[in-house]
Parts: sequence; structure tokens; C-alpha cells
Amino acid sequence: MPDVLIPNLDDVNKTAFCIPFNPDGMSLVLAERLPPSSFTDRDLENGCELRFQAYKVAWKKCLDRVQEIIHELQSASAHSVVKEVKTSYNNPLPGLPYAELPVISLINPSLGISFLTSIMPLLESQESVASPVDQVHCLVIHLYPADFPNIMVGMKSIIAGFMDNTDLERGNHKPATSLANYDVKLLAAWHKALVKTSGTPSNLVIVLHDFEQFDPAVMQDVFHIFSAHVKELPVVFLLSMSSPSTNYLNDTYSRATMALLRVRKFAPPSGSTFFCPTFEPDIMVGPIVLEYIQDHFTRYNSFADAILTILQVSLTSYTEVYPLAVLVHDTPSLDILSDPGSSEFVNSLAIRLKLPFANANHENTRQKPFTPAEIRTITKKLHNARKNYHSRYNGIRMAFTLMVHIQTYLEDQGYKGLDWSGDRKPGSEPKWTNLFKPMLNVMHGDVQPYIKSLSLIVRKSKRKELQDLLQILHSFFEANSEVEDISKDRTKVVSWKTGLRSVGNDTGSLSEIAVPFSEWLTEYLSSRLRPLEDCELWDVWYTGHTPFSSELLNPSIRASMMSGLLRPHDFAVDFSIPLKEPPPEKAIWELPDTSILFKRYLDSGRMINVYDWFESFKTVLDTQREKIQDLQVQEPATPKKRRGQKSKMQPVEKQETPKAMTAEEEEKWNLEVQARFVRALHELDYLGFIKHTGRKADHVLRTYFDVGDAE
Amino acid sequence: MGDRRLYPGYESFQYEISTLLSTYPPPFIYVQDTEALGTSLGAVDALLRDLRNQPASECPSKIYYARVDSIACFTARLFYESVINSLVEWEPDWEDGCENWSATDGDVRWNENLDSFLHGLRSAHQHLCKKNGISGGTSSGKNKGKGKQINSGHDNVRLVIVVERVERLKETLPELLVPLTRLAELVRLDVCVMFISQVGWLDIRPPLGASPDPYFVDVQSPSKENVVQSLISNFATISTSSSQPTPYHPGLTSLYDHFASVLCDICFSFIHDPQELHYIAAARWPGFCKPILDQLEDIEVDLPNNYNPSEITRMRLNKLFNPTISAALEVLLPRLTNATDWALANEPPPNLLNMPGSTILQVKLPSIQTEYHDQMGIMGLPRMSKFILLASFLASTNPPKSDIRMFWRGLDEKKRKRKAVKPSGKGPSKVSQRLLGPTPFALDRMIAILGALLEENDADSRISSDLFNIAGEHTDMEIGRVGVFSSVIELTSMRLLHRTTPADRLDGPPNFKCSISYETAVLLAKEVDVPLNDLLWDPV
Repeated sequence: MPDVLIPNLDDVNKTAFCIPFNPDGMSLVLAERLPPSSFTDRDLENGCELRFQAYKVAWKKCLDRVQEIIHELQSASAHSVVKEVKTSYNNPLPGLPYAELPVISLINPSLGISFLTSIMPLLESQESVASPVDQVHCLVIHLYPADFPNIMVGMKSIIAGFMDNTDLERGNHKPATSLANYDVKLLAAWHKALVKTSGTPSNLVIVLHDFEQFDPAVMQDVFHIFSAHVKELPVVFLLSMSSPSTNYLNDTYSRATMALLRVRKFAPPSGSTFFCPTFEPDIMVGPIVLEYIQDHFTRYNSFADAILTILQVSLTSYTEVYPLAVLVHDTPSLDILSDPGSSEFVNSLAIRLKLPFANANHENTRQKPFTPAEIRTITKKLHNARKNYHSRYNGIRMAFTLMVHIQTYLEDQGYKGLDWSGDRKPGSEPKWTNLFKPMLNVMHGDVQPYIKSLSLIVRKSKRKELQDLLQILHSFFEANSEVEDISKDRTKVVSWKTGLRSVGNDTGSLSEIAVPFSEWLTEYLSSRLRPLEDCELWDVWYTGHTPFSSELLNPSIRASMMSGLLRPHDFAVDFSIPLKEPPPEKAIWELPDTSILFKRYLDSGRMINVYDWFESFKTVLDTQREKIQDLQVQEPATPKKRRGQKSKMQPVEKQETPKAMTAEEEEKWNLEVQARFVRALHELDYLGFIKHTGRKADHVLRTYFDVGDAE
Repeated sequence: MGDRRLYPGYESFQYEISTLLSTYPPPFIYVQDTEALGTSLGAVDALLRDLRNQPASECPSKIYYARVDSIACFTARLFYESVINSLVEWEPDWEDGCENWSATDGDVRWNENLDSFLHGLRSAHQHLCKKNGISGGTSSGKNKGKGKQINSGHDNVRLVIVVERVERLKETLPELLVPLTRLAELVRLDVCVMFISQVGWLDIRPPLGASPDPYFVDVQSPSKENVVQSLISNFATISTSSSQPTPYHPGLTSLYDHFASVLCDICFSFIHDPQELHYIAAARWPGFCKPILDQLEDIEVDLPNNYNPSEITRMRLNKLFNPTISAALEVLLPRLTNATDWALANEPPPNLLNMPGSTILQVKLPSIQTEYHDQMGIMGLPRMSKFILLASFLASTNPPKSDIRMFWRGLDEKKRKRKAVKPSGKGPSKVSQRLLGPTPFALDRMIAILGALLEENDADSRISSDLFNIAGEHTDMEIGRVGVFSSVIELTSMRLLHRTTPADRLDGPPNFKCSISYETAVLLAKEVDVPLNDLLWDPV
């Protein structure tokens, strides 16, 4: 075996060697294990897979919903684009000096590529968008900037794209004496034959993705060539652009080219609604995540895909680490729960459900398996908790929707209402966008001000308004009758409605209705708008205030590099255990080589003498060696701590006398230090911390300076 | 000669060319038209079509011609193929595999190189001679006198090859220029090559006198009267009489004459190209005549074949529509929108003539322009991208040396503003950087400016975090995020930033230029509440 592991470095026939990683050779301190997740010991046997199943179902539901919203948002404009493409050649303006080439530019800043994908099936389908007379079939090809390195290849890819699309048999031909395969006349002949065989005209749609990346010099020639043949070839260009500037074409192309085109611009709508009253997600994301989504959306990336990514990441990370997430959909079967391996899991569940047989104090002792009867109790409790949570969630949803309805009405009447539109510029945004903040407040449980002001408003409202409000309530209950049992509330509303007809117009008699109505409303809302966290086992279905780490999606490069180099051990710390105190600073010898070198780098001036650097590095390594040998001497006294690493320790234990080093060992050690130095140096070089200078021998330049180094 | 009258103003040009081509043409003609190339091309085409069909009594040589566009023929093969195929009027057919024309059934390639092209020209000539029953001008005339051929009375076949936009040929196929100018010598046939371009021969001429000097023809730009004439004749060609009163009803001819002269009065000082004027006319005419059509429909009178509106009606129409014509010119000439959409958006309200005299027509842009105009797209950018654009604008306009003074934070805020520059009497006055265009800046510098902007103007809008205690630490974190760098790349791909260093260079920071205008920067600054003018070294 050793000759397999250690390659023969003297072999002249080889140009490269693979030196496999050998963890046994690493020093013990460096090969520290990652601490296990604090949840691991109370997880189910195959908890990971089960949670992944649960996650898949939950995510699917969430994804479908968000996609549905996106689809709804874009369907109208998608239809208008498709209609435009299909009718591009109908009804040209009479009297034009020459036929124009229809070009449709799609400006899609926020919905991104998904908008285009929603257009495509519509385009290719035969489905009628206009009257059948105007209807033409569309042949679509997709081309990307790489297809247009020059005019010849570009024309070739257009022509080949269309010809491959249809199975139109081309007569016998010899390539040398026929039209070139980049000749537009070939396409014209093909189209003539196509119309002859199929009998119906069809528009040739060329979709150019990432249009900004196309070389304008090439594209202007393509446009010119096709505009000269526009009578024989009904070509429509569909340009997908990411630039928000609608003037990109005018800015980039010459007037002579623009004069050949008939450009129509389409922009799909932007903006999104996250929260819909009729949607019931399996796992509700907490307000912190939503806040982050909103911030990210406005600050960095207004693509709908980004929202999906964040939602997915938050759901994944939630289900991945959290053992109880198994319970999202249903309870595992009795067999699984009574398995001795899952007793810890069951126990933790029992503690959460405050059952008498839970063993809350089980440090150091293995939990003995639960009896089937006990497990059945747990299951039942769990079932109740699930039911409670869902009804609570439904309650919040209903109450919030009701509030939104009332608020919309009040705003329509010209009142400020709950003043949710505080930071909105008048007329600039649609009404629903600023529901975000109130929604967050509701989820934080911060609703008392809303309820108070609503009840005040109801008390002070006039007869007409009261009537309208009651009508709103009535129809709201009608519409949501199956969600919740509301027959009692409905009867009340109906009785007030009828009562309102009979009372007089003065304030006194109106208040006969208004006061109980407002009291009821207060009661209704506040009984429902309670934070989800109050439910038992809420954290199974609701991510609550779990922070969403922006480092997952949008890390700060410099900061994470610094923290990685300066505090490499922090990456192994499990943050799910609340820290009582900051972990003690590690001594420099405990760090990996690169970090040691980097610490010394920070201590130096603008230029570093490599030899001095090496010397200081060697000092640290010498200390490290001594300390490790010390540790190994003490090691047998504390075997408990390092259970898992016993096997690795054996080879080291043999050399019990650390102090004296023979000359041979000394030399070997020096070589090792040098090798480790060079490796660490290269790593820093690779990360870009070193700039080589030809000016001074053996010196390198620092590229990174800390804030404190400025002076 | 039906088509020729569509080109008023080109009579002398057409006369000159047709005389030359039908008698003794020079082997190489160079036509230059600086202003209305499209119209000239049309005129030449109409002329050649006429010549092609001329009987032998008028022109002893039978003329065949080929028009080649230098842009479409981007390789020599395409050029050869299109010349020969269109000389013999050959249409490649899909069922035959799109074979090129060939005189015999053998595998003769005309498209391989210049030599084979010359051979191709000769056999094409021979073929055309045969077709017309002429004993070919070349030596091989074995098949002459076969009974089926119609003797048209011509004694010669003359080939005319028109190369359009020849200035592009100089870029794509420079090696073809000299042989083309000497084609008659090379092929020893009756061939005339005509180059048409906007550029003068002196700019195209191959070096070292390799080409003979051409016969020059300069096209005079059409006069206003000519354009009016051409508009009117254009109306005549498309007008169809139908019972439905359409804008192109022949009955409206006299009104159209009036409209055409009004249109040219307004637009001719800006643009002379008849095609552009046609374009504007096509966009405005349906609206211009609509009130008349409405009125006639109201009183239920059919449009007479020579309807002549009263002088008062004309004056009212003038008053109403004259401002919109110049507005149409402003929008349509740079193609900010297209004629179809503009015509649709600016259709006058019904029964305009019954409205009070003080009515003014509002000029509207097509709907997409109004609800999604340029600036709104920029406004839809994410917040960080806006800041990046502003930082880039500042980095591109301010001199690098001024950064420390503009952006440092200290006790003495007064120093920040630049002292007013005293105009010095001597030397040329310094031009503001904004007029000189953006300068490139290193990414690091832009990021530093971005940090300053964020610290001053964005710190309050962040999600608060208790991780950061030192002043500026959070900002430092924010400007180093992946999102910032990916936004920079994204903005580059949107062409709002312009990368000046090659993308594959890893050494050193990449350099960028900012390509947003000052107006856009002002809008952005207003949106994110940055006092832009205070931060500019050369404030307005």
C-alpha cells in the first residue's frame, strides 16, 4: 500500500503527481471535528429524509402559489405581446414609402426570463388570440449572442434554425453549386415552398435573447438584409432586453437602421403581492424573512426569481436543521415513534407538549423507549396542536383580510383610515403595495393600535358609511362561509343591518347600532389577531423570528474572507446554541497555517520581507509543535474528550520523548515548515493579498490594509 | 415608362443615365447621392426596368441588369451568385435544392473565385444572346440560328451591374473593388458597372491608381416642388376608389395636394429625403383628412370624385394640424416611435370641424411611451443599482484628485465646496468635464464613492442590525457584498455602465465609464435623495 499512497517522485516519465490528502498526517489540533448540531441527538433515525419529504411538499405548494401570482401578473401583457407578434403583418399603414420590418422589444426588468417563457407556449400554440382572419401561424426560433459572432454565422444560424424546425424536404442539391447556406434567398425559397405545402402563411419569429449583448455592427446588417426581403419573408424580431432604458435601440443603432424597423415596445408589469388571504402555506415564513425579502427586492435584485430563491433557501435551512419539521404534514407512524432510536425525539416532543411522562432531565442517561400508550397520547396532542395552529392561522388571515376590506373602503371614501399609506407618494403606486408594513405588524402581534382606531372610526361613522361597512362585512362572511364557522357573527351583522333601517338619523340613535358594532369588531379582531407564537408547537409551521442570514445569499466578500482568515474556528461553531459568552480567542498557534501567516502579515508594514515572514512563521510553528507534544503527554488523562480520535493518536503516542530532536528530525522538521510556509504563502497569493514587486529582492507588497492601519 | 414619373426631380439624371446605357455606355459609372440614397436607388431601378423592356427600335442593345446590395452580399460567393442569378433572371427553387443558374447541366461553379465568375458572366451573356436570337458577341456561336429562338431585332446584349452602397464593399470585400471597376476589360463583353453610394469616389478609390477613373454622375437633391410632386404622384398610385370613404380616396386628391405642400413647407427645411417626408405624410394624412370624412358622413353625402373643400375649411385644418406636423417630425424622424402607432395615437377626435375655433390638438405619444417612458425604466432599478449609477456618474465626472475634498467627513464642512473658479484672462478656458464626456474610473474608486454615498444617504433605510458598532462598519460591509458587484456587472450588461478594460484581464481593478446622462443622474439623485450638485466638482 505505501507505494500507492506515496508516489515515486523521482519518476522522470511523469509530469504531474497526485499526492492524496492524508488526514492522519495532520496535527491533532488542526484536525478538530466539526461540532455536531445540537439537535442531532434528538432526531429521528431517518429524520433527514423525512424532513426532506416534508420540505418538498411544502416548497411545492409555496412555489406553485408564487408562480401562480407571477403568472397572473404577466398573463395580460403576455397575451398582448403574442397578439402583436401574430398580427404583425396585418393592416400596415397605407402610404408608407417602403415596408417596415416589425420589431418587438420586450423590456423585462423585474420578471426576467420567466416572462419570455410564459410567452413561448402561447406563441407556438395554434390558439386563437385575434379573429381567425388575422390569425397566422408562428414559427419561432431562439438565438443567443453567441450565435452572432459575425454576419455570416448569424445568418447561417437564423436560416438553419428555421429549416431544422420544419421537415420540409429539400430537393437534391450539391452544396457547391447551390445557394450558400447563409444566403437569405435560400430562406426565401424555403418559405415559398413552405407556404405552398402548408397552404397558410406563417410569421417567422426570431427571438433574440439578451439583445444588449449582440454586436450592433452585425445586427444592423441583419436588419438591413431582412428588411430588403420583407415582402417575401414575414419575419418578426422579438428582442428580449434587460436594459430598463426603453431607448436602447435608438441609442445604439443608427438612424438609417432604425428607419427600416417598426419598433413596438412592451414592458411587463413589475411588483408582487406576497400575501394573499386565500392562501394557506404549510410553513409560514416569519416576518424577519419577509422583511429581508422586501429589502433585498428593492435594494439589489428586482427579479421575481430572487424572491423564489430566498423563500426556498429559508424553507430549506429551516427544515434541514430543525427535527420537529417532520411533523409539518402528518405524524410519523407508531412504528417509527416506538423505535428505540427515536425515543430521544419523542422525549423532546413530550417536553414541548408538557406531558407528565417526559423526561426533562435526561443528561447523560439514555432515554428508555416510550410505551405505545404514551406515544398515542403524544400523537393525539400533536393532532390537536396542528388543528389549533391552523384555526389560529385562518383567524389571522380572516381578520387581516377584513381589516384590508374596511381600510380600502375608507380610503375610497377619502379618509385616511388606518393611515397605511403613510410613506406612499400620492398616486404613484397601486393600492396594495403598501400592505406590507401592516402585515408585518400583524405578524409581530403589534395590532392594538389598528383595532383601537378601527373601533373609533366605526363609532364615529355616519349612517351611510355604517350601512356600507355592514354590507362589506356581510358579503365578506358570505364569501368565506366555508373557511370558518361564522354563522353567529353573520346573524349579528344581519340584525344590525336590519336595525339600521329603522333607527333615526341623529347621533344618539345611530350609536345604538354603532357602539355594539364597534365593540363586536374589536372583540372579533383582537380574538383573532394574536401572534402565532402563542400556539402550542407553533414552531413546526411557522418560522417565527428566526433570523435570515443575508450571508447565505449575499455575503460581503471582504468581510467573510477576513473572518475566515482571522477566526477560522468560528465557522465550526453552532450558532443554534445560544452563546452565553463569546468564545475565547484562540492563541495564534492553534490556527491553520494560512491564518498564522495572515496574522503576521497584518503586523507588517507596507512591504514584507519574505525571509522575516518565514522566520516569524517558523517561531509560531515551533510553539505549535511543543504545545501539541505537551497535549499528547496529558492526553491519556482525559480520554473522554477525544473519544473518536483514539485511533489517530496512536502513531504519535509512540514518540514519547518530545524534547530532544535528532539532527535528522530537525532537518525534516525544517523542511516541513518550509513546505507549509510556501503552501500558505501561495494560498494568500491566490486570494490576492500579495502583490509581487520587481523592485526589491525578497520583498512582497501588501494589498490589504485594515481600518486601523490607515495611519 | 410608368414608374419613372414617381421620381420627380430625377428627370435629368434619368435622362443622362438612360442615354448612356442605351447608346455607348462607359464601362464604369459612379453615382453619388448624399441626401436621398433610397430614392435614387428606386429611380435607378425604375429606369433599368424601363430600359430592359425597350424595343429594339429605341435601343439597339438588349439590356439585362443586376442590382446587388453590398450589405447583403457579405461574401464574394454571395456577390457572384446574386449577380449571375439576377442577370439571367433565375429564381432558385426549393424543390430543385436551390441550385444556382448554370448554362449546361454540368457541375460548373461560377461562385468559386473571380476567374470562375468571369467565366460565368460570359456564359450568361451567351445564354442571353441565344435567348434573344443574337449571334453572341463572343467567339463561340455554334448554336446560332435555331428556329425556336425569337429574333427580337436587337443586335447585342448589354449587361449592367449596379452595386449599391459600395462603401460597404470596401470594408467587406476590398479585393473585389479593382476587378469590378475593370470588369469590361477582364470579361471582354459589353458590360457596364455602376456604383451607387453616399460616399464620394475619392474615399473609396483603391490605392496606387489601380482602378480607372469612373464616369461621375452626381444626383441633385430634389427641390421642395419635386418632393411635393412625388408625394402627390404617390397618392395617385395608392388611391383606390371605393364606396367607403377611405383616406386614400381619389376624391381627396386636391386636399392631398394642399396637405403635401403644407407638409413640405413645414418639414423641408429640416429634411430633404423624400422617403422620410413620405413617412411623415403617411402618419399624418389619415388624421388630417378625418374631419372632412366625418363631416361628409354626418351629412350623408358620398365623397365626390373631385371634392374641393372650401377655403375656410382648409384654413381651419391648417390651423389645427400645422403644429402636429412639426411634432410628428420631431418624433418620427429619429424613430422614437413608428408611424403606425403615431397615427393611431394622434387620430383627431370625431367631428373636429364642429368644435369651437379655439380647439387645439394635443400631440400624444403612443401609449407605451406615456406609461412606460424612459425614465420610469431607470426608476424601476433596485435601490443599490441607483446608488451605483450615481457613484459611477460622480467618478466619471469628478477628477480623481477631488475625491478626498468632496467626500471626506470632518468638522469643517465648508471646505467641501470648491471655490469658485476665477475666469483667467489668458489661455483657452477650461471645458467642463460634463461636456467632454465621461472619464474611465477604477472599480475601487467607484466603490469608495459608493460607500460615502451610502453612509450619508442610505444608512437609515437599512434593516437595523446590532452587529455593527463602529461608525461606518455597516456601510463597509454593504459595499463589499456580492450583490454590489453583481449589480455592477448587470448594469454593464444593460449598457448603463461601460467597461473599458477587457473582461479577461485579471490584473488590477477593472475600469468603467458611466454612460448615463446628467439629466438621468439628477433624476436618480432626486429619487434617492442625494444632493448631487453639492458633490459635483463642476456644478452647473
